Amino acid sequence: MRLIAYLLPRIAAALITILGVSVLVFLALRLIPGGYADILLGPFVTPEARATIAERYGLDQPVVLQYFHWLVSLLQGDFGVSMVTRKPVLDEFLRRAPVTIELAMIALVVALSFGLPLGIASGTAGRSRGGVARFIGAIGASVPDVVLGSVLIFVFSVWSLWLRVGGYVPFSEDPVGNLRVMLLPGLTLSVFGVALVLRTTRDAVMRVMTEGYITAAVARGERPRDIIRLHVLRNASIPVVTVVTTYFGFLLSGAVVVEVLFSIPGIGLYTFSGLLNRDYAIVQAGVLLAAVVFITINMLADVLYAAIDPRVGAGAKR
Amino acid sequence: MSKGSASALVEIDDLVIAYDTPAGPIRGLDGARLAIGQGETLAIVGESGSGKTTLGMAAGRLLPPEARAESGRITVDGVDVVGAGNEELRALRRDRLGFIFQNPMSALDPTMRIGRQVARAIGGNPAVETIAALLRRAELDDPDRVVGAFPHELSGGMAQRVVIAMAIARKPKLIVADEPTASLDASIREKVMVTLGKLRGETGASLVILSHDLRLIARHADRVAVMYGGRVVEVGETATVLEQPAHPYTRALIAAAAGNEKPGQRLEPILGTPPVLTARCEACAYEPRCNFAEPVCATTRPEERDVAGRGAVCHFAESVLTRAGSQREAGAR
Repeated sequence: MRLIAYLLPRIAAALITILGVSVLVFLALRLIPGGYADILLGPFVTPEARATIAERYGLDQPVVLQYFHWLVSLLQGDFGVSMVTRKPVLDEFLRRAPVTIELAMIALVVALSFGLPLGIASGTAGRSRGGVARFIGAIGASVPDVVLGSVLIFVFSVWSLWLRVGGYVPFSEDPVGNLRVMLLPGLTLSVFGVALVLRTTRDAVMRVMTEGYITAAVARGERPRDIIRLHVLRNASIPVVTVVTTYFGFLLSGAVVVEVLFSIPGIGLYTFSGLLNRDYAIVQAGVLLAAVVFITINMLADVLYAAIDPRVGAGAKR
Repeated sequence: MSKGSASALVEIDDLVIAYDTPAGPIRGLDGARLAIGQGETLAIVGESGSGKTTLGMAAGRLLPPEARAESGRITVDGVDVVGAGNEELRALRRDRLGFIFQNPMSALDPTMRIGRQVARAIGGNPAVETIAALLRRAELDDPDRVVGAFPHELSGGMAQRVVIAMAIARKPKLIVADEPTASLDASIREKVMVTLGKLRGETGASLVILSHDLRLIARHADRVAVMYGGRVVEVGETATVLEQPAHPYTRALIAAAAGNEKPGQRLEPILGTPPVLTARCEACAYEPRCNFAEPVCATTRPEERDVAGRGAVCHFAESVLTRAGSQREAGAR
């Protein structure tokens, strides 16, 4: 009951946000120069041909009308059809989603399994030590995916190591072959995650270590291991949950750069190609789905906060 | 130090503790000496920066990492605290020491239920009744509800009673309370102090209270140690020290304390600021602020002497004492 009361205003805010996103993406797409007709028919198109295309896709109507038409279809579960392939956009997204989800999971698992232990170790080691972790954090957070991905592609293309660059195969057909393709882009995506999780964890742990209740636990003669396990980790976890969920949302909504770089047919690549073709329905659906994923994950984070800290949602001031 | 050290639970001898800062070391303690007897209640008073918290925390080696013990010795129940290994120190903290901090809200883990925190202080897997019984000893009204509560659901006074219960959970020999009532409402300070005194009596522990509050101390402490510049400058029975101070700093503290002034009388603030020592002070640290100072005070470090039944670190303790007679009575109960 308390959970519902806690979530209700957040759900309301989420719906408003999604509505806002739908307006923004719809307008933004129509503001960028060039339309589907220019892409399809090239630069020397006659006005008549352009008008035919516009009429066929309803692009000749006022933008407001187009928007409401789209919105009504959305509410009926119809995300529109691709102008290029004439297929329903939603089916295409659902078909590609597992690829992006797999990529996101690889990156997330790597980010957590390196970032968390290193961050905790570095945070509890004190100010003087933990410089290595800080170095990794700084480097990892500042190298762009394009650079890192390109370097990896270069290295693994020149020396044919076990991992492969490009040539995606679905997991259902060849699990091992799939992993060989997916690991490199997954790792590329994870480097930023490792740095992010490491730094956030380290900072949070260091801050909690200076709290009075940690001193009090030390004064009671508790084992250092118990102090970290029982008092430090839980209290340090809120900022970590914030960045991990945001990072996961970023991964799930399609890591465009990495999917394009490694030719991974996920939703990022699909949305990107939709943008290049001015295939409005694809981009609109892609951005809207990303917003929904982000908002859902943020709501999950809100639930986690309340589970971690009893003061959250209790209306307590401190 | 008039008490025989044979019965002393804590012995602090010429302890020098320096804090490393970017500007060089700063002395928190500059040759502090103090003996704390079994079962006594001793108050340590002094301004912020006088070294009282450093001394109190040193008893459990709870100082921040930038603090170093440069020389001297502190033993608690026979354990050399400075030289103890980590496990020995942990056992000392767990079984023989109890700490009570100024702000009870920050001394409790906000994400763990009180019952579990108290259970961890007791050790093992105590039954709920055991936990509630301990809380009842600390005079919490509704221990069964408190067991299931989180710290933010308690008032400051209740939280401090929980902290006190946790501190006595293992029958410590020494309880160190750093401003135990400073963060509480004035109306409950006295009650919490009474509880603390009662539990000290039950456990037979020694109680060290670090405090600014002279009135509180006058009522609850057997002995008082006054600290200044990282040293204990006057130590003796509470009544002796507060009613007939032999150190000018003690006199000034009493004159600056609210609560004993007569109508129309003004409080006298202590002018100047406490010293920041970068090395051993070779003079009297109080000399720049002292009304009694003579040239010798600026050149010779005073040592502790027995003056009229208490220890005093002042070249002119006798004349301070005789002039004190003309001062208004201080620390009246």
